[in-house]
Amino acid sequence: MPIEVKDLEYTYSQGTPFEKKALAGIDLTVNEGDFVGILGHTGSGKSTFILHLNGLIKLQSGSIDVFGIKLVPDKKNKQDLRRLRGTVGMVFQYPEYQLFEDTVEKDVAFGPKNLGLSEEEVAGRVERAIRLVGLDYEDVRSRAPFELSGGQKRRVAIAGIIAMQPRVLVLDEPTAGLDPYGKEQILSLITKLKKECSPTVIVISHDVDEITRFASRIVVFNDGKVAFDVPMNELFRHGEELQAMGLEIPKAVRIADELRMRGIDLGDVVNADDLVRAVVRKFDKTGMDETDIAKLSAAQFDFDGLYGASASDVRSGNGGGSGEATA
Amino acid sequence: MTAAFRNGRRGIYGLTGGAAAEKRLHTARVYDIIYKVFRKGGAKTGDKMNAIELKDVHFSYSRDGSGEEAVKGVTLSIEEGSFVALVGHNGSGKSTLARLLNGLLTPTNGQVTVYGVDTRDEDRIFDVRSRVGMVFQNPDNQMIATNVADDIAFGPENLGVEREEIIRRVDWALSKVGMLEYKNGTPFKLSGGQKQRLAIAGVLAIKPRVMVLDEATAMLDPKGRDEVMAVTRQLNRDEGMTVVHITHYMDEALGADRLIVMNDGAIAADGRPKEVFAQYGLLRKIKLGVPFATNVAVALHSAGLDVDPHIATEEELLEQICRLK
Repeated sequence: MPIEVKDLEYTYSQGTPFEKKALAGIDLTVNEGDFVGILGHTGSGKSTFILHLNGLIKLQSGSIDVFGIKLVPDKKNKQDLRRLRGTVGMVFQYPEYQLFEDTVEKDVAFGPKNLGLSEEEVAGRVERAIRLVGLDYEDVRSRAPFELSGGQKRRVAIAGIIAMQPRVLVLDEPTAGLDPYGKEQILSLITKLKKECSPTVIVISHDVDEITRFASRIVVFNDGKVAFDVPMNELFRHGEELQAMGLEIPKAVRIADELRMRGIDLGDVVNADDLVRAVVRKFDKTGMDETDIAKLSAAQFDFDGLYGASASDVRSGNGGGSGEATA
Repeated sequence: MTAAFRNGRRGIYGLTGGAAAEKRLHTARVYDIIYKVFRKGGAKTGDKMNAIELKDVHFSYSRDGSGEEAVKGVTLSIEEGSFVALVGHNGSGKSTLARLLNGLLTPTNGQVTVYGVDTRDEDRIFDVRSRVGMVFQNPDNQMIATNVADDIAFGPENLGVEREEIIRRVDWALSKVGMLEYKNGTPFKLSGGQKQRLAIAGVLAIKPRVMVLDEATAMLDPKGRDEVMAVTRQLNRDEGMTVVHITHYMDEALGADRLIVMNDGAIAADGRPKEVFAQYGLLRKIKLGVPFATNVAVALHSAGLDVDPHIATEEELLEQICRLK
């Protein structure tokens, strides 16, 4: 099993008056090829959870198994931690703040160098990673990261992680602070990376409309626990629960619910694409068949194939994995 | 003038003081009187007054003004009391424009006036800054004190406002943003939305007539965004505060009186939000999104359904779909 987390508990400032329980028993299995979206409001434990996946937080209670690398409390094994960090690539919030080298090339090389790879191997990986994130390698390699735009910097930061060729890519709010176009670019990039580099992706997001367009499975955190864990196409059944936890209901779900009350039943709708397809399916008078309808999309932008895979490719499980929980 | 300043002591909140502050206070007061007369004059003719006027404004970040311009000839009037949303993708010039509104930047060419004061007039830059307050993107970069009340007091103290008045303003500003109960706490333990409301209170304490929010919601979660938007709308409605709200979120622009779209340093569209969203082709071309409902309506329309693509709200979308029955 690629990632298996059992009964994970974590308390900050243990044994002090500031003690705060962040995780209260997490059980979660992630299969290779899953595109997991983690939702949860601030303080729900989602960030504490993903820090564990990369060994950045010392395990207090429970167990974690990532591709056979086993972590248990009180076991010190630097070798395991090193392997874990090469297996799980972690892209933090605002990763561009962590760029520090004087050239893009050196910055991207930092991770693979620390993995102890040969110089040629590092150079090859750096070039591939920079190209993979959609930057012009020849143009940016010797430039200072600080000369680049915000969106470009973020891509350099992601390239630094990709260069370590992680099997699992974990991203914390990867589109925060970007404009709509920048967001779409990063999201398309993630679907491309899933296809070509790291088949298992875990994304933390607070934008439910965004995550429902890409993920195949949604895990909702609340009060340090997994409140529910469902395939994307079943999320619409949990609108009230989301609301009770102070999370937003996807706009398409809300609209479909409202239409149902007004006498139009569209069936299962989770995102904008579903909504468009369901309405057309119901009211089309031109005789469109299911193949035509499946091509309809509410995508705001066309990237001229810049990043290859479209969102629907990934959602229908072409990401190169078991696709057990895909829509 | 306050004894504190005359004696060269530090202000009550321990931050600043001195003769320069005293001079600025004087200027600000004289200006207040001019402003009141000016305003009364405006009211007589029944015209809505312009808070800010831009005349053919150009701006370049290179020192000699020869490099590519970030703002390329913008002419614009912002009416007092209006709620203006300003959108544009990264690099469109919208943040540069925001900084031109209160003299943080001054035009390389052209003119910006705030209530009739040219922002290039260095003697009166404090008049400009006390009229136009700014709230920035990153909540963590805007806190300067270790205590909420001190943080709010920083602005008025720098303008040389008297102690009693500062105390009044701190309470008033915090209550306006619903944060009075945090008065004696530390700003660093607040949530993002609370920090931004605190930043707004800090701006309110200088009693500006215009508030510019430069992507102030971009780093917040949905709840924080709602909080900040609610406070901003309320200030506009109840206090008559002129608001210039710069945002990426099209849905936030829906409730504005006016929506200005920036692209490549110039104004690409300007009008009521609904009129602007109707130009969805243009908005997509210049790499901006449209609201969720508009987007779905456009997709339905292009799939051949009898749906009006020129809508912006979810209610309008519901009506359009119900009409298909």
